[in-house]
Amino acid sequence: MDLMKSIAIAASGLRAQSGRMQVISENIANADSTPSQAGGDPYRRQIATFQSEMDNALGARVVKLGPVKTDPSDFQVKNEPGHPAADANGNVKYPNVNPLIEMTDLRDAQRSYSANLNVINATRAMIQRTLDILKS
Amino acid sequence: MTIPSVAAGAYANIARLADPSAGLGKAAGAAGEAASGPSFGAMLKDALNSVTEAGHKSDAQTQAMVAGKSDMVDVVTAVSETEVAVETMVAVRNKVIEAYQSIMSMPI
Repeated sequence: MDLMKSIAIAASGLRAQSGRMQVISENIANADSTPSQAGGDPYRRQIATFQSEMDNALGARVVKLGPVKTDPSDFQVKNEPGHPAADANGNVKYPNVNPLIEMTDLRDAQRSYSANLNVINATRAMIQRTLDILKS
Repeated sequence: MTIPSVAAGAYANIARLADPSAGLGKAAGAAGEAASGPSFGAMLKDALNSVTEAGHKSDAQTQAMVAGKSDMVDVVTAVSETEVAVETMVAVRNKVIEAYQSIMSMPI
């Protein structure tokens, strides 16, 4: 039935958004992860990508989490000569994670998840209303 | 995806039962499959089997989630699919029983 299909498609959206939440939480948690050795590279921000995929069993296009890419932008450099990860000039590289951008992404994922939940709720209500005809 | 098979299968079987060419008086004989079409009992059994299958699927998903192997989303979709399948089955059964009882209470 098409209504069960739309529930399955919305469920794929839920799965993709929860994968995205994982990437965002990794970014936020690692916002202060400095390099492990002096002069090394710190944590690099990750970006979740989405792909549209044809689900043959379902006969519909579902969304799937694509490969998680890294953000190639420059690291933040701070001058902290006393830091264990500082290089010869006393500079420490910090991750290229901007908490503001991560919070915006997080809110976006949250809203998208809610939208998919609403699709499921509306579809369930439609199925129930149809069944009510049979019951009365 | 089990709902259409449950509902459509049940409707098709009821239509076949109601078809005069399939032979009258067979509807009440729940025991044994007639040559020209499935009996009411067989129809109910078919519908029940597909509902049980959906139930097994959601059971397996729930167990996998408790064991930490499955996604909560999978469990929710499997359970809601089962819920709809069971409700459809019960509604169809109630209708059929209701029809049967109104036939039985018919004054002859």
